Amino acid sequence: MMIIKKLFWPKLALRELRNNRKFSLFFILNLAMGLSGFIALDSFKESLDLHLGKNSKAILGADIALTTYFPFQEENIKYLESNLPENTKVTRRISLFTMVSSIKKSRLVEVIGVEELFPFYGKIFLKNNGIVQDDNHLKKLNLYDESWVYPELLNILNLSEDENIKIGEKNFLITDLVMDDPSSSMSSFGFAPRIYVGFSKLKETGLLTKKSRVSYQRLYSLPKGANLESIVEKLKNNVKNLKGSDSKIRIISHKNAGNNLGRLLGYLNDYLGLVALIAIFLAGIGAAYLYRNYLSHHFRELSILMSLGATRQQTYQMVLWQLLFLGTGASLIAILISIIILPFLPLLLEQFLPRGFVTHISLSSLFFSIFIGCMGSFVFCLPVLSRIRSVKPLYLFHEHFINNDVEFKLWQQWYSYIPLIMLSWFLSVWQSHSWVVGSIFIVMLILSIIVLCLVALVILRIVGDISQNLNSVVIRLAFRNINRNRLGAISCFLALSMGTLLINLIPQIYQGLQEEISRPKDFRIPSLFMFDIQPDQIEALKKLISEENEVMKYISPMVRARLEKINNEVFKSFNDDSPITREQEREQRFRMRTLNLSYRTELSESEYIVRGQPFSSKYDWDSGLPSEVSIEERYADRFGLKIGDTLTFNVQEILIDAKIVNFRRVKWNSFQPNFFILFQPGVLEEAPATFLASLGGLDQFKRIKLQNKIVNKFPNVSVVDVNRTVKRILSISDQMVLALKLMAYLSIFAGLIVVFSIARNEVEGRLWELNLLKVLGAKFNDIQKMIQFEFLIIGFFACIFGVSVSTIMSYGLAWWFFENFWQWTWGISIMSIIGVISMSVIVAWFATRKLLKSSPLTLLRSS
Amino acid sequence: MVLEIKNLVKTFKQADLSKIEVLKNLNLAVQKRDTVAVVGQSGSGKSTLLSLLAGLDRQTSGSLKLHGKELGELSEIEMTQFRAENIGIIFQQFYLMPHLTSLENVSLPLEMFGYKESQERALEAMDQVGLMDRVKHFPHQLSGGESQRVAIARAIVIRPSILLADEPTGNLDNATGFQVADLIFNLVQTTGMTMIMVTHNKDLANKCSRQMTLKNGTFE
Repeated sequence: MMIIKKLFWPKLALRELRNNRKFSLFFILNLAMGLSGFIALDSFKESLDLHLGKNSKAILGADIALTTYFPFQEENIKYLESNLPENTKVTRRISLFTMVSSIKKSRLVEVIGVEELFPFYGKIFLKNNGIVQDDNHLKKLNLYDESWVYPELLNILNLSEDENIKIGEKNFLITDLVMDDPSSSMSSFGFAPRIYVGFSKLKETGLLTKKSRVSYQRLYSLPKGANLESIVEKLKNNVKNLKGSDSKIRIISHKNAGNNLGRLLGYLNDYLGLVALIAIFLAGIGAAYLYRNYLSHHFRELSILMSLGATRQQTYQMVLWQLLFLGTGASLIAILISIIILPFLPLLLEQFLPRGFVTHISLSSLFFSIFIGCMGSFVFCLPVLSRIRSVKPLYLFHEHFINNDVEFKLWQQWYSYIPLIMLSWFLSVWQSHSWVVGSIFIVMLILSIIVLCLVALVILRIVGDISQNLNSVVIRLAFRNINRNRLGAISCFLALSMGTLLINLIPQIYQGLQEEISRPKDFRIPSLFMFDIQPDQIEALKKLISEENEVMKYISPMVRARLEKINNEVFKSFNDDSPITREQEREQRFRMRTLNLSYRTELSESEYIVRGQPFSSKYDWDSGLPSEVSIEERYADRFGLKIGDTLTFNVQEILIDAKIVNFRRVKWNSFQPNFFILFQPGVLEEAPATFLASLGGLDQFKRIKLQNKIVNKFPNVSVVDVNRTVKRILSISDQMVLALKLMAYLSIFAGLIVVFSIARNEVEGRLWELNLLKVLGAKFNDIQKMIQFEFLIIGFFACIFGVSVSTIMSYGLAWWFFENFWQWTWGISIMSIIGVISMSVIVAWFATRKLLKSSPLTLLRSS
Repeated sequence: MVLEIKNLVKTFKQADLSKIEVLKNLNLAVQKRDTVAVVGQSGSGKSTLLSLLAGLDRQTSGSLKLHGKELGELSEIEMTQFRAENIGIIFQQFYLMPHLTSLENVSLPLEMFGYKESQERALEAMDQVGLMDRVKHFPHQLSGGESQRVAIARAIVIRPSILLADEPTGNLDNATGFQVADLIFNLVQTTGMTMIMVTHNKDLANKCSRQMTLKNGTFE
């Protein structure tokens, strides 16, 4: 009996939904459209995590790796390796970014030196020799001056196999091409193709000096049964006891090897997730509107049930079952749509994806989708749901029970919006992996909605006033209808204006970004950027460049150091906990970073002091005072530094105290040598340094000529072609923006579905009076025009305000991020206004045409 | 004694916060098998009285006992349970659930409480109102008289001890109204229920064993 009783309410709920098929269908469609982008994205992220998880050992090539930017100290390695179980295998790997040249061309590459056992996991696939299965291949690489290169390098350097390339002081013969490299999980961004050489051979190039930025790795393969977590923990603890450069050794377990590889894609996913959230929000507005109408037409049924013995809780139970069914239905449809969308996502994001990546929808993604669908339908409808509290069955004894008898004001139920706000907040923080970004996003979203609602109310009032003085009956009735059906009008206004806002905002921000990257205001981007210049090479390099009638600019020294203390408290260079948020991740990265210090007599054009005083003068070592430093303002923010704080740096094991005297703002996109930390002159001049410099105003021919000349004469100097880098950055951001735009179009599509549903619902609710108009002599065309005019007005104002708010927002963002560099993309704005207005009128026409075509007789009967 | 009302008062707050007394010190005692017609003009308080008797509203003061239970003292859940077991209600506008068939409408109060034999009892009730040929019809497929008969079947299916009828023929034409009225009185007689009926119809009121006229909130 209990089972029958328990099944009664879900059965009744389902019956009612089946009986209200159109409502159920539109509710499900609305929500499904909003959910589909979100679900596709979630599945995509999960597929990526799964791929990285599955291939983590291959990505690292080992179970555990020790990595550092300084050569390992023998005694420290012995101390650390004492933690490893017997039969642990070890191999070494060195990598660095440097120039490689052929006779014709040169290019920045990543050179990797490996020993015979590399890699323990994953297989390198070579074009000629196939999979590197035994040690023989790698033995040869360590015995002879041979190299394996990424195929794109042959095109870049105009080379073919069996030709020589010069790395540092040494020539290497290209013996094979690397077709698949599991340790390079993400497709190469094209900045620096890889070259594999023997470990011992890389040492012979002369590039591994103390001043060069070289990554040293020791890779371990643990015996079966070894406890990875406890070994990693022990190693981390032991590193804390080390002194000197080895205290900077990082312990990488294969389990977090993929973290860094997916960083850029991670950021993109974060923002895609936020845009997808807006689509859910718009869909939710539509669903809540539909549900409000549905529920208010069902108060009588609820009253009957209560008069027959149902408790109020049981009626709640029934509507909750309905929401559960609707939410599940919406999720299932959304899953189907995402199954269609999902295969296209990797095409959109191919530059960011690992090789061999395939998408799939996992069981956990399915459950998550259903959970979000059900929770979404519940929280969006909760403010409406609370109306059930006001249902009174005693109204059944009134002569004419009108569903609207139930008095209710949505705003009075403010607390019923809390779960919606909380869920949205949770989802945005979860999507953005950032409390800050997630919270700002949700506050901005709520503010936008409030502002747009207020604007809509003002417009409705104006529309109501205007309607008094209009001569045309059609237009007058259209104006009156908008003013009368306020909730429908505001919902449509919100959906359309938010969609327009989004499709405008993304390109507008991108426009600023594009202009800023390619043509930063007041700056000429250098043509070539040089680093790793040794002090004794500066004069010779200057001379070489002057032979080509060019001048080397912004020559800046760079001294490697470690931050030891802040205000005499030891600076923790790494965090033990795995980062969860993007902020933690960034802080960890910053803490792990080896510092590059510099000194200048005066600031460059691309930086200026925002707080504090300029350096006093040249440092006097006899003064006994700490030296003066200038810190980049965002770097200072990240570590909570204040002017007057004392920092202790370790420069080649010499401790230097420095007091912060000012904060600087740096225009990083000037592509000029800039630093987070600048010392006053007189402190670092004697420390071992390398130099950075740039060259400007070169055409393509001269760029290549100079680059080759520099690399041939100074093989250790790395040269970056800034133009190519800018192009590459823009091409990557193009792809990112395209993905974001598509997600924004999904939002506008969700908005149009809302318009469709509301238009249909409004007309259905007004059939009786529309029929009356027909009986009184109104033509079908007039009625159709009236409906179209209503949506034209709503669409027009929604677009105008959507564009206006997006313009203000993009201006604000440009002011915040790009220092007031902003351009109005009027073309996109006008296109979106015309497009969205036309679409809303067409959609409204499409939604209502069948209903409007019904004969007055049918309408009278049905009413 | 099935129903005992003593000094029953019901007041409502108006928009200007003043109070209006709709029922003033009502007294009534109803015995088993009594059929009581409550007549009166619109606004006299008939519907308010009915909603109090059905336990859908609470009195302001006074006592209202059904089968010796003071309705005002029952919690909402207890009242719901009590109503589901003891009170059958017939509305003027029938109030059938549009998405359920006749039979499902009738079995609804039983199914809500998980009665196993709800189908059989609903069929029995449909038989009692003479609508066995309409069991699978939806409300919109029924005439007004048929709809009201389904509503009657739904009211009696729980085998209530008291039947409350609010203008049961008010929405029907004369001929159908008579048929429905006969049906109600026959059922009341055969089942031994007590009935309280609110009506404007004098013929219908005359059929009852007692008539009470409500005027300005009190029985005349």
